[in-house]
Amino acid sequence: MFDEEELVILHRRRAFIIGNYILILFAIIFARLWFLQIYQGNELYQYSLRNRLRKEVVKAPRGMVFSRNNQMLVHNSPRLDVVLTPQYLKNREETLAKLAIILDMSVGEIKRIIRKKIKQAKYHPIIIKKNVSRKEVAIIETEYSKMPGVTVNTFISREYEDQDIGAHMLGYISEISQSQLPKYRKRDRYNYNLGDFIGQAGLEEELDFKLRGEDGHEFVEVDAMGRKKRHIRNNNLFAGITSMAAQPGYNIRLSIDRDLQHVAYQALDGKVGSAVAVDVESGEILAMVSRPSYNPSQFSRGISMKYWNSLINDKNLPLTDKSIQSHYAPGSTFKVITALAALEEGVIDRQTKVKCQGGLRLGRRMFHCWKRYGHGELDVVGAIRESCDVFFYKLATKLSIDKLAHYAKLFGLGDKTGIKLPREVSGLIPTREWKKKRTGKPWGAGETLLCAIGQSYVLTTPLQLAMAFSAVANGGRLFKPQYVKEIFDNSGNIIERGTKELVSKVSIKPEHLDLVRQGLFEVVNARKGTAWWFRGRGISMAGKTGTAQVISMSADKLFAKCEDNPYSLRNHGAFVAYAPHKNPKIAVSVYVEHGCHGSTAAAPVARNIVTAYMKKYFPEEVERNWLKQKIRDNKIMALEEKRKRERERAKQDREQEQVQDREQEREQGEGTTKR
Amino acid sequence: MRESKVVALLKKYDFSFFAIALIIFSIGLINLYSAVHSSTKIELSNLYMMQLFWFSFSIVIGLVVSFIHPKLFFRLSYLAYAVNILLLLLVLFLGHQGMGAQRWLVVGAIRMQPSEFMKISVVLALARWFIRSNPDSELGIKNLFIPFLIAFVPALLIIAEPDLGTGLLILLVFFVMAFYRRLRWKSIFVVAIIGLLSGSLLYKFGLKRYQQQRIYTFLNPAADSKGMGYNAIQSKIAIGSGQFFGKGILKSSQASLNYLPENHTDFVFSVFNEEHGFFGSVILIALYLALFFRFIWLATSVPKFFNALVAIGLMSIFFWHTLINMGMVMGLLPIVGLPLPLMSYGGSSLLTFCVCCGMATSISNSRNIF
Repeated sequence: MFDEEELVILHRRRAFIIGNYILILFAIIFARLWFLQIYQGNELYQYSLRNRLRKEVVKAPRGMVFSRNNQMLVHNSPRLDVVLTPQYLKNREETLAKLAIILDMSVGEIKRIIRKKIKQAKYHPIIIKKNVSRKEVAIIETEYSKMPGVTVNTFISREYEDQDIGAHMLGYISEISQSQLPKYRKRDRYNYNLGDFIGQAGLEEELDFKLRGEDGHEFVEVDAMGRKKRHIRNNNLFAGITSMAAQPGYNIRLSIDRDLQHVAYQALDGKVGSAVAVDVESGEILAMVSRPSYNPSQFSRGISMKYWNSLINDKNLPLTDKSIQSHYAPGSTFKVITALAALEEGVIDRQTKVKCQGGLRLGRRMFHCWKRYGHGELDVVGAIRESCDVFFYKLATKLSIDKLAHYAKLFGLGDKTGIKLPREVSGLIPTREWKKKRTGKPWGAGETLLCAIGQSYVLTTPLQLAMAFSAVANGGRLFKPQYVKEIFDNSGNIIERGTKELVSKVSIKPEHLDLVRQGLFEVVNARKGTAWWFRGRGISMAGKTGTAQVISMSADKLFAKCEDNPYSLRNHGAFVAYAPHKNPKIAVSVYVEHGCHGSTAAAPVARNIVTAYMKKYFPEEVERNWLKQKIRDNKIMALEEKRKRERERAKQDREQEQVQDREQEREQGEGTTKR
Repeated sequence: MRESKVVALLKKYDFSFFAIALIIFSIGLINLYSAVHSSTKIELSNLYMMQLFWFSFSIVIGLVVSFIHPKLFFRLSYLAYAVNILLLLLVLFLGHQGMGAQRWLVVGAIRMQPSEFMKISVVLALARWFIRSNPDSELGIKNLFIPFLIAFVPALLIIAEPDLGTGLLILLVFFVMAFYRRLRWKSIFVVAIIGLLSGSLLYKFGLKRYQQQRIYTFLNPAADSKGMGYNAIQSKIAIGSGQFFGKGILKSSQASLNYLPENHTDFVFSVFNEEHGFFGSVILIALYLALFFRFIWLATSVPKFFNALVAIGLMSIFFWHTLINMGMVMGLLPIVGLPLPLMSYGGSSLLTFCVCCGMATSISNSRNIF
C-alpha cells in the first residue's frame, strides 16, 4: 500500500496547527481568567465576602374576574408578612424574644416555625407571621437595626368579593403541592415552582394559564443584615443583568350575573343543593351556586387548620360543586324525556289517555303512583301537569330502555356537558348493555318503569338538566354551557371571546315539543299543576317538579309524610324551569338534597331566580304579566269561590230540607198524638 | 534474570501519561475535599473517598489497557462501535432515570453510562475509516459523508438521552480528527457551515426545554427563571474573588455557603480558582496543556497512521472537555454539564480518561516494547 512512516511526517504540519489552535483557545481562557481575577478581582472579592446579590422573583399579579355587568368578583390585595432570614440572625434569643412581644406570639411558637424550615438554605427567608397589622409593621421598622434578619415582606392575597357566594364556580388558589409540581411542569411556557400559588378548583384551576401571567425577576442587593438596599438595574460587573417585569395575568369577564348569583344563593339558604341558571339562547351560565359553600379568600390567606378540617369533615361536602360534581336521580323532571320519546316513537299521540287508579301492576309487583288513590283519566299534557306516575309507567311498558336512553342522550343527559370546569361528573343513563357489563344480570322490565320516572339507575347533574330544559325551551338546540364572556389584558385588549357552541340540534317534531311545553306550562299555571302554589307574580314560568326517593320504600312509608322521616331518608327535591313560556330566555335548574318535595323545596328557589332575572332585564313584561295573571287568578278564584258558594248553598239547602223534613215529621207526629 | 526483565520493561514503559494524570487527579482530590467538606449532607461530605476509590479502580483498568497491543484496538474498533450503539439504544428505551435524564444502564449492581465509552469507540471507528483511503490525498465532502455519520448517529442518540454536552463533544472530536486526516480547506468551511446549520436546527427541534433554557440563559442570563443565570453569576464571583493567589485552601466562601449548587461536578474549577487564584489556575492549565501536547507529540512520533489518528482523537476528548468546562464556569459558554477531566467527581468519566491514558501508553509502548 503506502509507506505509513512518510505519512506521519506529512501530518506533522497538521498536528502543529492543532497545537497552535489549542494554545490560542487557552489564551482566551487565560485572558478571561485575568479579566475576572485581576481586573475585576477586587470588586468580585468584595462581593463574595458579603454575597450581596440576590435574585428575587417578582410575582405576576393574577388576573381579575368580573361579572357580566363588570362588577369585580375576584381581585388581589396586598398583605404584609413578617419574615426572618436565619443567615443574618444575630443574638438569636434576644431577637426572637423581642419579635415574640411585637407579634404577640410565644418564643416557642416562632422557634417551631423556624425548625420546620431547618432543611432549606440559610439565606431563604421564613415567614413568621402572615397578615400583620400596620401598627406591628411600624414597630418592627423602628426596631430594624436591633433585630438583624427580621424584615417585612409584602404578599399579595386573593380576595373574593362575594366570599361564600358562588365560591365553587370561582374556585380558590393555594400553594402548589409537591405532587402537583411535575404535572404542571410539563405544561409549556409557564414556569411552576414550589411556593407558587395555583388554582385548585373552579375556574381558578381551569383557567390558571390565563390568570397566572408570567413572573418577572429582579436582582437585589442586600446588606449584611439581609435587608434590601437597592435594586440592581445595570451593572458593569455582570453584563446583561436586567430585571424583567412581571407580566400580569389576563382578566376574565364572566357571563355570571352577580345579582342573580346573590338571589340564588339566598334562596338556597339553609338548604343543601345547587341552583343553575342559563341563558336559553346561548348556553351562557347566568348563575351557578352550590350550598353549603366555603370562603375561598381563606385559602389564599393561608387557611387555618380548623377551618380546613371543618370543610373536609362536613357531611354535606362544602367543597363539592353540586351543580356539576354531584349527580342525582332527576325524579319526575325526567318525565319530559319519557313523554318526548313516546310521542316521537308513536307510542302515544296527543289524545291518548291513561286511567290512573293509583298504581300499575307488572308481574307480581305493584308500581304505585305518588297519589294514593289515582289521578283518574289523563292525556299527556295532563300527565305532565299532575306528574302522574302511572301514565309514564304505561308508556314505559311500550318503550324499551335503550330507546329511552337514546332520547335522554339526545338532550345531553348522562354525558359531561363539557363546561370548562374541573372534575365534572357525567351522570348515568342506563342501557341494557351497561347493566349487563356492570352487574352481569339482564335488564328487568320493572326497571324501565322506574327509569321512565327518573328513578332507579338514572343520574343527572343539575347543570345537565338546565341544558336539557333550555333545549326543550328553544326548540331543540342543545348548547355547551359557557361562562366566559371575554378574556382581556390590563390595557383592555380582548384576547379571547366566549362564543356559543351548539352541541347538537335535537330532531324532535315541533308539535311534540309544543305539547310537552304546554304540559310544563300547566305544571305552574294550571290549578291542578304540581307547582301551582309557587307560580310567582309577574312571570310566566314553565317547569317540572321532581321528587327523587333516596331509598326504595314500602307503600306505607311511601305515603307517609316525608318530613317525619329522618333527614338522610327524606326525598330529594328538584325543579327545572324556563321562562317566559312564550319566547323563553332563561332556564333554571334547582336541586335540593333531602328537600322532600320538588315543589316546596326547589320550586320557590327557581321562582325567585326567574323573578329576579325578569325584573332586571324585562321589567315591562313582568308588569304586563302581573296584570294578566291577576285577572286570570281572580277569574280562577272567583270561579272557585262561586263553586264553593254553590257547594255551600247546596249543603245548606240539603240541611234545610232535612230540617223541614224533620219538622214535618214532628208536626205529623204531634198531629197524631193530638189526635 | 527475571528481575532484570522487569526492570527492562519498566525502563521502556512510558509513564508520562499516567504521571500527569496522577498529578492532576491529586490536585482534583484535594480540591474536591475542599468543595464538599463543609456540606451538611453526609453523602456529599464523603464524596472524596468515593472519588479515590473510583480512581484506584480506573487506573488499574488503565494499566491493563496499556498492555494491550494497538493492533487489537484496530481489530475491535468496529465491533466496539456497534456494541456501543446497541447499548445507547438500550439506554434510550430502558435506561435508568437520574436527574431527569436517561444516561445509565443498570446491570446488577453496576451502573454503566454508555455515552462515556462511546467517545472512545467513535475515535477508534473514525480512525479505522480514515485510513481506508490513501491518507496522502485530501478529503473532499463526499469522502466525509460516512465518517460524519459515524460520529453523528451516536451524537444524536446521546443528545436524545438527553445529554447535549457529550453529544456535541463527539461532533467536535470528529471535526478535529477529520482536520488531522487532511481535510480540504474548502471542506472545512462546508463542515463548519453544516455544523452551524444543524446546530441551530437541533436547538429548534432536537433539544429538551431545559437544554434550550441553558443556552438561552447563557445568551441572556437575565431572562432565565430557573436560576441558571444565577449559578453562572455565582460561579463568576467565585472565580473572580480568588484574585491572584486565591483565598487559600478550604477557604472558599462561595462553595461552602452553597452558592454553587454543583460544586463537586461541573463547578470544581470555580472552587479551585477561588482557593488558588490566577496563580493556581496557570499551573493547573499548564498541566493540562502538557498532557495535550504529550498526545500530539505521540501522534507525530508513531509509525502507524491509525495510531496517530487515535492519539489525536483521544487528545481531543481531553481537550474539549477541559476547554468547554472551563469556558462554561467562566461564563464564556453555556452550562452544558461536561466534567473537567480528572477533577470533577464521577466514576464513569474517571474511567474514560484513565482508559484514554492507557491506550495512549499502549500506542507509545508499541514502538519499543511489544
